[in-house]
Amino acid sequence: MSALRDYAAALSQPALGDESERGRYDEVVGPDGSLRAAWKGLAEVAVGITAGDLHRVDGDIARFLADDGVTYARPGQGQGAWRLDPVPLVIDAPSWTPLETGLAQRAELLNALLVDLYGEQRLLADGIIPAAVVFAHAGFTRVVARPAAIDPRPLVLAATDLGRDAAGEWRVLGDRAEAPSGIGYAMENRRVISRVLPELYREAGLHRMEPYFWALRSALIQSAQGDLADPRVVVLSPGTHSETAYDQAFVASALGFPLVQGSDLVVRDGWVNLKVPGGGGGAGRLERVDVILRRVDAAWSDPLELRGDSQLGVAGLVEAVRRGRVRVVNGLGAGVLENPGLLPYLPAACEALLGEPLRLASVPTWWCGDPDGLGHVLDHLDRLAVRPIDGAADALDGLAVDRLRERLLDEPHRYVGQERLPLSQSPTWTPAGPVPRPLTLRTFTLRYGSAYRPLVGGLANVHGADGGRPVCAKDVWVLKAAPGDPDQGLSGVLPMTAARSTAVLVPRVLEDMFWFGRYAERVEDLLRLVIAAHALADDYRTRPRSTGGESLAVVMDGLHRLAGRRHDDLDEEFRSLLLDADRTGSVAHGLAALRDSLLGVRDQLSPDTWRAFGATDRAAEALQSSPHSHQIAESAGRMLTGILSLQGVTASMIRDPGWHVMGAGRALERATQVAHLLRATTTVRRGIDVDREVLNAVLAATESAVTHRRRYRGYVRPAGVLDLLLMDADNPRSVRFSLEATRDHLTRLPGSTGSSRPERLVEDLLADLDRTEVAALVAIGGVGRPNLEVFLDGFALQLGRLADAMAHLHFASGPAPRQLGAP
Amino acid sequence: MRYRVSHTTTYSYDDDVTDSLGVAHLVPRELPWQAVSSYALHVDPTPGDVSHDVDFYGNTATYFQVTTPHRSLVVEGVSEVDVTTPYADAALLSRPWEYARPLVRPELSGAWLATDFALASALVEHTDEARAYAAESLTRGRPLGEAVTDLVHRIHTEFRYDEAATTVTSTVPEIFAERAGVCQDFAHLTLAFLRSHGLAARYVSGYLATEPPPGRERVIGADASHAWVAVWAGDDQWLAVDPTNDQWVGDRYVTVAWGRDYGDVPPVKGVIFSEAKRSTLLVSVDVAPLGESDASAVGTAGS
Repeated sequence: MSALRDYAAALSQPALGDESERGRYDEVVGPDGSLRAAWKGLAEVAVGITAGDLHRVDGDIARFLADDGVTYARPGQGQGAWRLDPVPLVIDAPSWTPLETGLAQRAELLNALLVDLYGEQRLLADGIIPAAVVFAHAGFTRVVARPAAIDPRPLVLAATDLGRDAAGEWRVLGDRAEAPSGIGYAMENRRVISRVLPELYREAGLHRMEPYFWALRSALIQSAQGDLADPRVVVLSPGTHSETAYDQAFVASALGFPLVQGSDLVVRDGWVNLKVPGGGGGAGRLERVDVILRRVDAAWSDPLELRGDSQLGVAGLVEAVRRGRVRVVNGLGAGVLENPGLLPYLPAACEALLGEPLRLASVPTWWCGDPDGLGHVLDHLDRLAVRPIDGAADALDGLAVDRLRERLLDEPHRYVGQERLPLSQSPTWTPAGPVPRPLTLRTFTLRYGSAYRPLVGGLANVHGADGGRPVCAKDVWVLKAAPGDPDQGLSGVLPMTAARSTAVLVPRVLEDMFWFGRYAERVEDLLRLVIAAHALADDYRTRPRSTGGESLAVVMDGLHRLAGRRHDDLDEEFRSLLLDADRTGSVAHGLAALRDSLLGVRDQLSPDTWRAFGATDRAAEALQSSPHSHQIAESAGRMLTGILSLQGVTASMIRDPGWHVMGAGRALERATQVAHLLRATTTVRRGIDVDREVLNAVLAATESAVTHRRRYRGYVRPAGVLDLLLMDADNPRSVRFSLEATRDHLTRLPGSTGSSRPERLVEDLLADLDRTEVAALVAIGGVGRPNLEVFLDGFALQLGRLADAMAHLHFASGPAPRQLGAP
Repeated sequence: MRYRVSHTTTYSYDDDVTDSLGVAHLVPRELPWQAVSSYALHVDPTPGDVSHDVDFYGNTATYFQVTTPHRSLVVEGVSEVDVTTPYADAALLSRPWEYARPLVRPELSGAWLATDFALASALVEHTDEARAYAAESLTRGRPLGEAVTDLVHRIHTEFRYDEAATTVTSTVPEIFAERAGVCQDFAHLTLAFLRSHGLAARYVSGYLATEPPPGRERVIGADASHAWVAVWAGDDQWLAVDPTNDQWVGDRYVTVAWGRDYGDVPPVKGVIFSEAKRSTLLVSVDVAPLGESDASAVGTAGS
């Protein structure tokens, strides 16, 4: 019954055929089969958890993570779901304390090392660290290694990866200092686990994480140069396609700092500024930035002095840093610490820089640039892992021994040999029940005030049975020594007041908000049309009539104009329209584009936003797993519900220019879709019965059927429908209503002057509507309505021009940087 | 020798550039064998922001930003320098070349600083081909000075000077395949030859004063920037040699800056923000002797 007991019992059995699990320290069960000290206090609740409970909890976790939109891009793949195991890694206070002291000392040492390497280089001159370990490392950033540019505190937030040796001692596997990721995931893990295992969570008496975020926020504010009352802090992201985009947006949002990209920033007179659209149209205004929490690797941070082909950086950033006009966290060049070649020399460096012995031992490592180290590594190639000092750790994996030996002898200083730690294991949920899997622990250490403080907690990564890249994460629970201990040992930190990032409405953000509005509307309209078409198809199937097929063809044609044609079979075609993300114009395609624009502004959105996608994803899965035709309508309906929930999210948004530009995008899209639908369905006459069926479908797809019935008592004719969908100022689905909404939103945008081109275009369109008589539009000429056709075509063209004019005026961020002299 | 050096780089565009940021290495270094009596750097349009700083390798680097819209950008460096022939320590040069390998002998005085120049760099790849080529000159126990002189001589003999053969981004394998290049290529090639055997060598950017053919006037602006290499001999001693002209560097060479390769010390590099489709680049260099000239010197080609 009890999942933990079963797990413990299985461990005491001789391992059958699974060599890798032998000799590993188990995080939960001791060698005698009883629970470890950390779990003893939880035993009562923990032992009561059955495999069935864990199965349910595992499902809940997946759902919560999907609703929160938590993603992670595995190397070489797109964004996928973040995976979290239900069973936390639990560490009690007596085990944690030495780790905490060791991590604090390590960060102090790494900071001092950075100051020395980019300044005096005493350790290199004295031979304490071989010069080649540093000079051969890609992270050594010479453009900031200048006497005039010494940053006294280059390391603000460090991450250290740890694993246990066979004796159960934590050993350092490596440090992350370039732009450490994961603290956002750690926080999200906690949120989810505390919701799915509430009893266990309450029982545990563990350190909550929030105060650490408050401390991080305060540390960033205080790291501003000089004595600024209200420094501007931003989080610099490489963009939504970064592996850890979720983590970046989470941190920005949790800290209340705007998430920006390189193109949002510009250097003037050696200062870094945000480009804020202002009164002067395209030019806008500049707002000084004082602190940059950097998630872009140093090499990509400045196309002027670092990689010239980078579009992720800010030209002139290095100069601003050297002049001390902006504080970059961590400092440019901190990546040199992500270097296993340093590990053998840290004990001596610690003595030299801090005058004390190094507390936390690293995994035994030999640098091959040292002849003795090379000799040792060559003699033990069978059991050591060989890694380059920079780049991917597994770059040499799978190389034949001869080739490996050749590489080592060729450039020995580029490589290290490392012992393979057995790591500890912890129960990890699989559909077959919990199984032991190896794990590593990522810890975070922050410079807060005058000292370094480790996060009391962390992020555990679970690896496959044979090691390799992480397969899922675990929450890390560090238990309090006494129930009254302050969380994180921080009693004096002031809770944050601003929960949401102060919006920075740089042109890129406005553009993303605009497309948010457009795609949300586009997907909604498309779903309604699919539902209407599917209803017609169902009707036609059950009651074959001569007119049904023709009406259906007209509506399908409307869909095909939007998304092309892929299948002749109707159900196949509907499924494809809903599910095929590679089909331009499909629902799935629109949803992906919508998600993309939302990711770019994630820090400014309510977390509820992502529930919409949780719902559409589940509806898509349901459709994939059901062959029945009725599931098409069912799933389309549930997708529609998901998308409509975005309206609820946006209703609570601050009415800033971002909201208005989204509103303008939505209204403009609605006008465009209505014009398009009318063009596809009403300009050709097909006989009274067909026309009536088609118009009914149009009314259904535009959610205007009820209004129409009330007004025209079920008498459906083109003039009435056109009046309702084009001219009616009170119908929120009409073109006129949408254009008036567009106008109202436009007025509220910076850069709108009353006579800006988008404003003039929208006035022209409204005037055009005023001049037009429905009676004239419906006039018959041959088989069609030529006036209507001309009118709708011209109108659609003008709507496109309006969108272009908005982009030109409000979203233009200027040309991308290019190298001087490049052709 | 005393020279007045002027180096003008002009970029022209077919549309407005709203923002230009640049870094220039145009101010000659102060060295035991080179005194800089004056220097000036002009940028047109006048930059809103200019600053001079000393970079990691001790060169003067000038940062500038022009934010007035422009269709042409002119960067001009003018300096006056006195140069003597650099001193070469005969004792160090007569030691076997194997002594001067900083990674093998990190304990030697100055080795830790020279290490940076013994490693592969972005534009200097240590290919097997390069190593094999250099091995013929770097024979066991051969004195450093002799081995390097021989290597430089072979490069001059076996590689052709040809401006059409390569571009500013040519790699060591490409130059090797062409058996041709310009001074920058020969310098990179020499660096690959020396470094692939563990020697430390740096890329030096500067100028070589040229003499007009007999009976002709000196043509102003016809000179070019030049590049050569300096190999570490031990302590803080470096032997500067010019593979393009098959000679040791003397008092006709003005040293501006050095680094691991061209990428560390281009005379001007920058980033522009513009919708311009086309740009053209014009470089004009003039190295004018001041005071009495050394009429006996043999004219040699720059670049």
